[in-house]
Order: sequence, then structure tokens, then C-alpha cells
Amino acid sequence: MTQSQMMNGQDRGVTGVVNRPMLSRVADAMYWMSRYVERAEHISRILVETSSLLTDIGDLAPALRREYWRDVLRVLGLDSGEVAEELLKGTDEEVAFRICNFMTFEPDNPSSLLGCLTLARENARSVRENISAEMWENLNTLYWSLRGDEAQARYDESAQELYRQVLLGTRLFAGLTDQTLAHGQGWLFTQIGKSLERLDLVCRTIAARSMLLLNADMAIDSDERNIHWMSLLRNCGSLEAYRRIHVGDMEPESVVAFLVLERRFPQSIRYCVHHAHDAAVRVRAEIDPHTTDQAVRILGRLNTQLEYADVGEIERIGLIAYLGQIRAATTDAAEALRNSYFLH
Amino acid sequence: MFSEYHLNGIFDEMFEAAGEPRGHYRSVYTRLAALSNDAFQRRRRMADLSFKNQGITFTVYSDTTGVEKIFPFDLIPRIVPSNEWETIEKGLSQRLMALNAFCRDVYHEQRILREKIIPAELIYSAKMFRREMLGLQVPRDIYIHICGTDLIRDKTGQYLVLEDNGRTPSGVSYVLENRAVMKRVFPVLFGAYRVRGIEDYPHNLLHCLQNVAPQAREDPTVVILTPGIYNSAYFEHSFLARQMGVELVEGRDLIVDNNSVYMRTVAGLRKVDVIYRRVDDDFLDPLTFRPDSSLGVPGLMNAYRCGNVALVNAVGTGVADDKAIYPYVPDMIRFYLNEEPILNNVPTYICSRESDRKYVLEHLHELVVKSTNESGGYGMLMGHQSTSAERAKFAEMIKKDPRNFIAQPIVELSQHPSLIDDRFEGRRIDLRPYLLSFGDKVVVMPGGLTRVALRRGSLVVNSSQGGGSKDTWVLEEDGESPPLLQPELVPEGVTV
Repeated sequence: MTQSQMMNGQDRGVTGVVNRPMLSRVADAMYWMSRYVERAEHISRILVETSSLLTDIGDLAPALRREYWRDVLRVLGLDSGEVAEELLKGTDEEVAFRICNFMTFEPDNPSSLLGCLTLARENARSVRENISAEMWENLNTLYWSLRGDEAQARYDESAQELYRQVLLGTRLFAGLTDQTLAHGQGWLFTQIGKSLERLDLVCRTIAARSMLLLNADMAIDSDERNIHWMSLLRNCGSLEAYRRIHVGDMEPESVVAFLVLERRFPQSIRYCVHHAHDAAVRVRAEIDPHTTDQAVRILGRLNTQLEYADVGEIERIGLIAYLGQIRAATTDAAEALRNSYFLH
Repeated sequence: MFSEYHLNGIFDEMFEAAGEPRGHYRSVYTRLAALSNDAFQRRRRMADLSFKNQGITFTVYSDTTGVEKIFPFDLIPRIVPSNEWETIEKGLSQRLMALNAFCRDVYHEQRILREKIIPAELIYSAKMFRREMLGLQVPRDIYIHICGTDLIRDKTGQYLVLEDNGRTPSGVSYVLENRAVMKRVFPVLFGAYRVRGIEDYPHNLLHCLQNVAPQAREDPTVVILTPGIYNSAYFEHSFLARQMGVELVEGRDLIVDNNSVYMRTVAGLRKVDVIYRRVDDDFLDPLTFRPDSSLGVPGLMNAYRCGNVALVNAVGTGVADDKAIYPYVPDMIRFYLNEEPILNNVPTYICSRESDRKYVLEHLHELVVKSTNESGGYGMLMGHQSTSAERAKFAEMIKKDPRNFIAQPIVELSQHPSLIDDRFEGRRIDLRPYLLSFGDKVVVMPGGLTRVALRRGSLVVNSSQGGGSKDTWVLEEDGESPPLLQPELVPEGVTV
């Protein structure tokens, strides 16, 4: 412990308002709360989109049905092992039914919607005094909408409807986080958590889909290809924004460039890296001005790399390898964050 | 909905006689009698949903998994007229002043033992007596800063003190939340009465905590220490931290260095001045108390001893909370304050006294036997509802360890109408007001937690034993209750 670490009392910011450094445990919980909510959002979107895609084109591409469901598992790293084999057995209908159930309610699956929202809520519960009443109530209500007695009945009636409600609930949570919580340290940690989770999931989703399409290239005729790339954009919540910029163009290169390099769209990787870097810089400035830390360095480098990248660079390195690099840097940044702030 | 209401031959808070409400209940009665069952059920659902969505729950541990439950809320308010409250307030303040003087004395000069007003062996055999506190100077000589005294009313309506909870009394968050929900569900009825506000409690609590900061530090850092989210009262810990704007910490967030307490923050260590701890003595410091505790902070007692941190409540206040010492509280009031007690105790037999023990063993069927160190309604024998096997078991336990038991005549607690299914029925209640000690004065929150034994015929109001709670309205001034101005309108489908 150095002398500067043992400062007495509290620091006053320029406004004269007390600027209390938050508890490490609280920062950690806010970061994870935010990550789990983001994960739940991405999962519910993938489940909605996969079901509706297969309703549209199922007959056209019967060979792909099972691959699409495997894809859902692959995005979350659940596609290998005994559990995955069990889930992928039987008829297409059985597989769809089983995987939806597994990704919605399965208590042993921490990546199920219920699993994510339980963890998000537990983290929120442990820092309730640090989040707004609105955020807590929203997350708690969302949790009970999947936990309550009626949840299974509503799911049986229309799984799509349930997923859409989860989507709405998680987006509401993000909005409430922005509008009802002071944009201080706690909020900044939620932003870092959200951005890192989102960019990681977008990387995984692109990688999984491009592998699927690469392997199945022969089986798909070119008219259908558009549908598959569109569904990738849908999975990432980006189709409408993409169309407004790339009118009538569904070339794989354009889709990938949009998801990876688009500067202005909040679901793109570059936007997330920028946002995470920005939040990390501001956390540092609040806590120990005029210094930097490892997380800021890693995110800063990645940010600059994406700022000056072009499609050609991605092609030279190879899409999968390129996404792999981004994910590796993201993991390093998360680890650095943990060391700098959560492990005091 | 009052058509089948029975007075059951005990003191009824609302009714003087069948169909005749007391003056201060008249408006509530008229209002409730006019409500249809549907309207009432709708309000009940609104209230329940509001508690659930806000996560106002407590955790019940049945087997290995905890279940989150909402604390059943009974929509019919309990009303206390201002003249009754005045007596309660004076009586409680007097009692807390005496209890604090007693704690200070027991851990220093022990005058009350030397003058043989309380037998010394009773103190030394008390499980909650902490030798570590002997001679230790606590800030402003306050031991019990926060007290939650349980009051009951006997057949004649007299208020009696059932126990003084001077360790870590809980429930105040429910008082505040019940009030907030009540205002939303019955706005007109609430507005028609002049009910004393309780919303300044968190503010007063913060002042009470800052009041004992070491070295009168300006802008001291106050924290609440919780055992964590799995504790049954976690909601309350978090609620109070939020209301006061202070940090809620767990043991692992704190560290003792050079006899000062620090919390681990994103910017390194920050000094802590006052800890409102909701962790029992036993678990506070593994170096001093239970070595297997992971909830506490190693070295905390040393920092406390050095006067670098204040603990609220002080360590060792359980000695004043011991059920075998409770019978001596009236004597403490006479001894330390030279006053007569304003509120009476429930008559109590101390089993370690031979004559008392003999009486207790012969009259088990008409007494309540309590273990001196248990709380929450555990370790009790309700004589009149017990089987002979249970009585034999308790007789054995009393003979084996008489110090650990007291007995009291069964007090017929007062009853109050509760909504049970689709009609009103009388259910037993008690009252836990919350007191804050500032040393030279005591601040009593006007109202408190009215707990209800929701099981028919039950005398046990604890939440762990199927109890619920009500909002408690202390009136600003006396007189008849006000007329109602407009009907209560809560549109269908409105969520609160």
C-alpha cells in the first residue's frame, strides 16, 4: 500500500461535489450486470430470427436447418460436447424445440435467457443502492416474466412473443441505464461491460455464420445467399441500418465491412470498441487523472486499428483470423480491467 | 365484509363492541365496509405486485435453497391516537436511556451489580455478555443506537413491553415501504387522516450514525455492513444504504491496516469512520470472535478498541437483550434515572431462580416458555397449545439448563381486522417502534411495524412463522376521525 493509495476521506471534484471512488466489488457487479443483460438481448434476438428465417426458407434449404440451430449454439460456444449432441438428435422439429427450450429456460445452462437474467439480477441485487429504482424494477420484472408460473404457458403459446418481450425489456434496461443513472463511474462500468459483450457476440455471430456459409457454399444457389447474409444482419440487429446505407447491395464484403467497420452504428464492432475505449478513458480520468492503464492501452490500439482498417485488410488476414484478433484483444482488455479496478 | 367479524373476547383495536368502531377508526371502518370484495382484491393485487416488482422480499430457508417471498402485507391500517402515542414515546425513550446507562455500567463500574440490584452471575452467564468490551470506551457512551422495542396490548388494552431488541433490529424498511404503498392504494383515505410522517427516518438514522464518528470528523464516511445478498434481511440493508446514500459493504470489501478500517475501491483504499453493522457480534471479527466467520473483518475489534472506527450498535449490547435480564429493566429505570417506568413489562419467571422454576414446571400448560437467547419465534413453548410430550421435553431442558429459560403468562394479544380471503377477521398483532439514540435524547419514529399473526388463533407474529405486517398510522391530534370527501378511485388495470 502506497501513501497515495491511503488517502483520507474523499476527493472533491471541480464542482466541489464529493466524488467518491466506488467499491471494487460494486464496479465488478455493475460491469457483469450489464454484460448479462446484453447477452440476453443478443440471444433472444438470435432465437427470434432463427425461428422466423427457418419458417421462411426451411423448405428451400432443408440441409441447412440443423446447421442453423447448431449455429445458435456455436455463437455461445456450446456447439460441442455431449450436451450439444443430445440437443441435435432427432427430427428437425425436435431439434428446434429442444434448442429453444435449452436456450430459454434451462437452469443448468448459464447462457439460457433465464440463466443470463438470473445472473444479471443477482449482480443488480448486490448493488441495488448504486443503480436507479427504475433499472432495478425493470430488471426484476423482466426476471419474473421468465421465472413466474405463467412464463411456461406464455412460451408454449408463442415463444416468439416471449422473446420479443425479453428484447423489449433488455432495450428498456439500456435506455433506463442511460437516462436514470448519473453518468459517473458506475455508469461507465456498465458501458464498458455492454460494449465488450456486444462486440464479442457480434464477432462470434459473424464467424459462425461465415463458416456455415463457406462450408455449405455449394448447396446454396446465389439467389438464396442474400437471405442468409440478411439473416446475419438481423441476428446483429443491423438490417435496417445497413439497407439505408447500402441500398440494394447484399454482397458479403459489404455486410462484413458494415458489421466490423461502420463508424456510426451502435451495433458494429468498431462503434463498440470506440465506446468501450471512451468509457475506459473516462473511468481513468475520474479515478486517477493524468495516468493511463492497460485496459485503456489495449482498447486504444484496437480502436486505432479499426479506425484505419479497410475491407482489403480484412481479406488479406482472413475474416475468421481478423475476428479472432479482435476477440483476443477484447479478452485482454477485460482481464486488464479486472486487474486495475476489480481486484483491489 | 364485516358481517361475520368476531371480537373473540379480547382487546380489539377497531371495535369497542360488536359493530361499534372506536372514534379514531370510524372513517376507515365506513370506507372498508363500503368497498366491495372485488375492489378490495384489486387493491390487494396492486399492492402485492408492487412489492414483487420492486423486489421487496425476504428469504426463507426451508431446505438448502432459499425462497424469496414477499412479506405479506395487510391493507387495513392500524391507527394509534396521539395521546396513546405520547405515552408510548415517553415510555420508550425512558427505557432506552436506562438500557444505554446499563450497558455502559456493566462494561465499566458495574454499580448495579455491586449494589445487588441484578445478580452478577446472571450477567456473567449471559451468552451475549462480551468480556472484550470491559473497559472499552465507546463514542459518546452510546451502546444501543438503534432499538426496535416490541410492544403488545393485553386484554385491557394496556401497552406492555415484550422485548427490547437492542442488537440489530430489522423491519424498518417494511415500515417505510408499507407506507409508500398505502399512500398509492388508498390515497383518499390516507389524505383524510392527519397521519404523522415517517419519511425522515433515513435522514435521522444518518445523523445518528454520523453522531458517533471518531474524533468528530467532518463529513465522516459511514457504511452499512451486510452479510450479503443471501441474508434474509438483505433487502433492508440495501434499502437503507440507498435511502442514506452511503455504501453497502460486505466483509470482503473492508480491510484493517494499522488499526484503521478501509474499504477497497476502484481507486484503492478509503478510510471508513462509522460502520452500521448488520452482522452479529459472533461474526464481526474472526480474530476476536468466531474464527470460522467469513462475514467479518479480521482486526476490526482492534480498530474499534483504538477508537478509530465506531460500530453501531456497539458490541455486547445483547446483554441488555437477554430475556432473563429483561425482567430487571424496570429496576434499571429506577436505579439509573430515578424515575418510575412508564411502560410495564410482561410478568416474567426466571427459571434460574428456584421458586420461579418450581412454579414454571408446575404450570407449563398455561405459560409461554422462551429460551433466553433465541429470537424470531424460535425455541418457544406455547403452553396452552402444546402436547404433553413437548411439555415434558421443555421441562427436561429447563431442569438441565435453567439459566437459558424464562416463562411468562400467556398474554392475549390485542386483535385487529385483517383481510382473510374474502372477508375481515380478527388477527393478533404487536407493534415494533424504532428508536434512535443520540446520547442525550432519543428520537422515536411515529409509528412502527405492526406485525400480524395471519394464522387463525396464532399468537406468533414473526415473519419466519407466517406473520404479515400493516401500516401504522399515528395521528397528529386527537378527536373523531375525519369525514370522507370523495370516493376512492383507482381505475381497473392501473398498476402501481
